[in-house]
Amino acid sequence: MEAKGTRSGTVRRRHLIVVAATAALGAAGAFRVLRGPAQEERGRPGAPGGPAFDETYRGRRIQGEPTTGGGVHGPGGWRVTVDGKPLGLMRRADGSYLSMVDHYRSYSTPLAAARGAVDELGTRQSLAGRLH
Amino acid sequence: MAYTRRNQRSLSRAERRRFVDAVLRLKRRGEYDAFVRTHIDHYVSDGENRRRVAHMTPTFLPWHRRFLLDFERALRRVDAGVTVPYWDWTKDRTPAASLWGEDLMGGTGRRGDRRVSTGPFARGNGWIIKESVTDGDFLTRDLGRPAAPLALPTRQDVAWAMGETVYDVSPWDSTASRGFRNRLEGWAPGTGDARWRNHNRVHRWVGGHMLGGASVNDPVFWLHHAFVDLLWSRWQRQHPDSAPFLPERPPAPDEPQHRRVVARREPMPPWRTTPQDMLGHQGIYRYAE
Repeated sequence: MEAKGTRSGTVRRRHLIVVAATAALGAAGAFRVLRGPAQEERGRPGAPGGPAFDETYRGRRIQGEPTTGGGVHGPGGWRVTVDGKPLGLMRRADGSYLSMVDHYRSYSTPLAAARGAVDELGTRQSLAGRLH
Repeated sequence: MAYTRRNQRSLSRAERRRFVDAVLRLKRRGEYDAFVRTHIDHYVSDGENRRRVAHMTPTFLPWHRRFLLDFERALRRVDAGVTVPYWDWTKDRTPAASLWGEDLMGGTGRRGDRRVSTGPFARGNGWIIKESVTDGDFLTRDLGRPAAPLALPTRQDVAWAMGETVYDVSPWDSTASRGFRNRLEGWAPGTGDARWRNHNRVHRWVGGHMLGGASVNDPVFWLHHAFVDLLWSRWQRQHPDSAPFLPERPPAPDEPQHRRVVARREPMPPWRTTPQDMLGHQGIYRYAE
């Protein structure tokens, strides 16, 4: 249990850095910069995962933005939260996304994966903040 | 002397109790949660440039065979008469099946938080979740997903996998269009729920913890994977002329899957065990079919 706390603490710090960089560069431009060529796109069409999002879905606030470089779940990473708690995302070879809540199907975008996670959480559960 | 893994529906009341008691004892000792962590730690998706051993990869079957063997060894240290039963989900297809009875797995979760409240793995009966991605410390299920109903895989779905004459094909991941492994694991093309077949679909049908990285928290995980393991044995018998495992050799440095999949004679972390070591289970266990 202690390890879990440490891990999510690290994640929170990393999140703050990303938020700070975004604020400094201005939202729209920043995402273009952050996406960068470092991400492995393997010739997939379109942007990696679509634009950043911040919405309320079934009473839950879901937010997401692309992150630079590796991150916990490797290249092409996104920073996604449900009610402020991080939701781990992984990338499939076909370009779709799996969430930590839902490992046996994938979604076309991080937004769809976040909504799917909310569907599976039901009305009375929250994320523990564990990414992996 | 090989021991026998049996269909869960053939267990007597006393045998069911012995299996459940052995699982509960592993949980109390902390051994059970180590299995949960191992499974979480080895779930690597195929869009990541890392080695995959457990999912979306040829070693999906031998990795889980070894994982089940470790669990079964732990159970048998507690009670030498216990083995992992299997759940034939092509036959026991509803939440009313005896599998979900109070003396074996317990039933589905309640509405709202999907908390399991019957049987030995209910929070109220002492089964506390410690390794999870959600904040609750109770096991969750959503059998059959009533809000958007989903059927368990059928015999035809299994036949779609069993009919493949090749074990696995390049690119050795969840996008492989042919091959027994990917079809049994259950990553299919198409749209809607048709994309999630066989093994994957069972995880979806149970729902709750079984849907996520921490699926091992639900003891039905073992009964599900024992049946997947049985199907691998059956496939080998039905295709004696097919290579029992592929790839035979590691992908070359100029191939996309270089260092991302494990070949027949390479170790599968966290063990030194190779797919070759897991090709048969004669002398260890057999299935009563």
